Amino acid sequence: MATEFHNLQELRHSASLANKVFIQRDYTDGTVCKFQTKFPSELDSRIERTLFEDTVKTLNNYYAEAEKIGGQSYLEGCLACLTVYLIFLCIETRYEKVLKKISRYIQEQNEKIYAPRGLLITDPIERGMRVVSLKKYKLLKSVCMRIVDQAVRVLAAVQLAAVDDRSNTHCNIHRSSSSLAHICLDAH
Amino acid sequence: MPNSVGKRFKPTKYIPVSTAATLLVGSTTLFFVFTCPWLTKAISPVVPLYNGIAFLFVLANFSMATFMDPGVFPRADEDEDKDDDFRAPLYKNIEIKGIQVRMKWCATCHFYRPPRCSHCSVCDNCVEEFDHHCPWVNNCIGRRNYRYFFLFLLSLSVHMVGVFSFGLLFVLNHLEKLSALHTTVTLVVMCITGLFFIPVMGLTGFHMVLVARGRTTNEQVTGKFRGGVNPFTRSCCGNVKHVLCSPLAPRYISDPRKKTPVTVKPPFLRPDLSNRHVTVKVSDNGIHSNVLRTKSKTSLDGVDDKTSDIQPPLPPKADRYNQLKSQLTSSEESSPLSSKPTNPSTPAMYKYRPAFGTMPKVHYHATGEKIVMSENGKPSSVLEERVHDYRSEPNLDLPDYRSPPLHRTYQSSPFQLDSFSTTSRSFSLKQGVNRSDRVPLGGGKPETVTSTPHKGVFSPGTLSGRNGSLSYDSLLTHSITPSVGECAAHPGVPSLGFHSPYLPTKMCHVRGPEYQRHAGPPSYSPVHVGAMYGHQSPHSRERERDPSPVRYDNLSKTIMASIQERKEFEEREKLMHTQASMAYGNDSGVFDTCSGTAYGLPSGVCYSDGHRGPTPPMCGSRDNLIGGVGYPPRTPILRSSASSLVRAPRASTTSLHTDGSNGGSMHGRTAEHKYRSPMHQSHHSPTTVPRSPSYTHQKVAFISALERAESPHMGTREDLCQGKINGQLKYGLARDCHLGTPSGIPLSPSRHTNVKKVTGVGGTTYEISV
Repeated sequence: MATEFHNLQELRHSASLANKVFIQRDYTDGTVCKFQTKFPSELDSRIERTLFEDTVKTLNNYYAEAEKIGGQSYLEGCLACLTVYLIFLCIETRYEKVLKKISRYIQEQNEKIYAPRGLLITDPIERGMRVVSLKKYKLLKSVCMRIVDQAVRVLAAVQLAAVDDRSNTHCNIHRSSSSLAHICLDAH
Repeated sequence: MPNSVGKRFKPTKYIPVSTAATLLVGSTTLFFVFTCPWLTKAISPVVPLYNGIAFLFVLANFSMATFMDPGVFPRADEDEDKDDDFRAPLYKNIEIKGIQVRMKWCATCHFYRPPRCSHCSVCDNCVEEFDHHCPWVNNCIGRRNYRYFFLFLLSLSVHMVGVFSFGLLFVLNHLEKLSALHTTVTLVVMCITGLFFIPVMGLTGFHMVLVARGRTTNEQVTGKFRGGVNPFTRSCCGNVKHVLCSPLAPRYISDPRKKTPVTVKPPFLRPDLSNRHVTVKVSDNGIHSNVLRTKSKTSLDGVDDKTSDIQPPLPPKADRYNQLKSQLTSSEESSPLSSKPTNPSTPAMYKYRPAFGTMPKVHYHATGEKIVMSENGKPSSVLEERVHDYRSEPNLDLPDYRSPPLHRTYQSSPFQLDSFSTTSRSFSLKQGVNRSDRVPLGGGKPETVTSTPHKGVFSPGTLSGRNGSLSYDSLLTHSITPSVGECAAHPGVPSLGFHSPYLPTKMCHVRGPEYQRHAGPPSYSPVHVGAMYGHQSPHSRERERDPSPVRYDNLSKTIMASIQERKEFEEREKLMHTQASMAYGNDSGVFDTCSGTAYGLPSGVCYSDGHRGPTPPMCGSRDNLIGGVGYPPRTPILRSSASSLVRAPRASTTSLHTDGSNGGSMHGRTAEHKYRSPMHQSHHSPTTVPRSPSYTHQKVAFISALERAESPHMGTREDLCQGKINGQLKYGLARDCHLGTPSGIPLSPSRHTNVKKVTGVGGTTYEISV
């Protein structure tokens, strides 16, 4: 995992192009905050449709929850009036709480799902909740590093094999080579 | 930044709010000091208590309405509008609860305005659920603070009623001592209250109706839903609940002092975009546009901008144009070119139509440099340079436009921006050319390059222009680099109202250092060109947009006028046949007039699908593009045409007019949306008779105002109007100009007809087929 993070950190610096895909708002239900769940074609090769749609649907649910006019919002409104709006200095409104939840969710999604696929979701709040932008990164360096790591391991195993001529060394070599091959395939 | 940098402190805008605050606080204080003591004794202590609470409530709501962010949208990053730049339609249609609503492109903020969003010219921001800009609180009223504003009105009304009635009670009980201080003061307070009673109550009643109907002031005064259905209403109760009880919406503009509580962990940090924000002020012929540039390319790629060889799919942004222009202006002095008699390059340019692709997809790489914009204060030199440039281009049809006065007229026109940019562009091109001996370019190159700005859109497919521009890039690095303090690598089209043709050139200039890389091969790599073209084709696709081949180019006012006359004449003939079919007398007429005059957009010609032959000229107003008003048969067409309108270039023009404030004058609503444009006052007569050039001046001003207010240019941001459009008078606000052209060819209409470039208002250039 640390390696993952390390690689992901490198993402920022190694991206040769951060292509962006924008997911626009879905206004069919009015001005409520809702994003289109339509799967953009640019992500076809990067992420599974279901994962993406799940993410967007969850985001939409969060926003719907934030904007819901219900008990809590009534309470907040009354309290605000009574305290001459000084309450806003003290407590966090419901919307803000949900926005924090959303940020955490997006971060978690990035870590678990999107970054390994070379994508990065940005929080729509930064763009005025008009779009959700996904950055596409080329995992060059990260992949290269992994390749290098594995290559090093293969070499070490080969050396060991040359020295020890043990069967399990061959297994190690085989394993390392196959993982190296996998990494190379992933890179593509 | 919600506000454009460089906004001067205007004390006059604080006068209404100061007056309101003073009157409110002062009168109430006097009431409490002079009237309440007796009332406490005579009636009950509850009186001052009640009044105190009411006053406190008024103050609280007043403060909230004044200081709360109404829901300002931050400016969009450049990377966001890359798809929508350049030939993107001015309107995008969406469906809300079964009703077609169109979203307009905001040239200042660089995104399609969400529904109910409007751009406030006073604040220079797009505001969510924009209601109006209230001078009494010196703030926009939008989604976040409408509730407080409404409550302020309610509480103020209640407070005024209370003060007035208790004051009356006091006076009636002190009739014998009318000259006493307390009584006099109470009378004064009563007078003030009585004086403001009617307006405040009237406004309160008006807003109560609006709340019940679920409309904003903006929608009400522009007549959007007049006779139509409001897709945003939730039923009366639902609307009231929404206004009073909905949760407080979040701020989009983050408080710089505040730290966001949730931060992205290091591995997921995005490329640093903070250095992207460059505010550039471009002064052009008196039109000051504060450009907020975010050099997305620079930071977007973050990583390896300089070496990145990826061509951004973005068309050059209009901003760059300005930058380039200013840059060039500064470099002009060092130009070896001698000044020549001014010659409007634009008109000449469009005689010459190099076969370059419309998309000036210059290979721009994001650079971290910033262009230091210099005030473009030398129109004449710029113009002269331009003339010179054209001189050297044998193919240009110079004689037609070789009138210095014509050129000079540009100086004071709002169009000058484009002309300058053109000039500067060509100038820089020339410089590059000169210095490079034109070795790789050949004789034709300069022309191509120079004319690129104007002709970019003319012929899609011409490689020469692009190539020329590309090759110039390398050449120009030398010339440009010294003069450019910083180059903003911006793939977008630089400039207000910019057109693609300019882009390559501009980019050349802009990218000085970057192009050094390209400098290697003076042969502009065909790859680049191909890429540009390749890029164009995707751009020509209208993903969600209707085709909007409207292109704009620099056209002088006079040229526009003449073209307009011609077009109007044609339109007149058309109108004769179609006038009768127009059912919507007034509104349409109004807009027709508007279009005919101000925008000179012949209706018939400007329909995307070209079906609307018999339609009268469309209203040139941006909003009302479809002049739609009242042309029921054209509704569907209008819709498409509306959407096909191309957005104005990514100009940083400051919005001068609030959408709402413009009211109906500029915002006609298409019949399809059942919007009506209530304001006809700006229109002269309902006839669609073409207007004489005398109008042009008015319209120019009008247009320029509009231009500045929004992204008025109908049509692609930097594109020229499709040449095919006949009688297209893209007067600054040309509308939907893709007539005749098959949809989806926003980019590269093959221009068979002569295309003239007209400088539109605010620097938009339009390409008019003549």
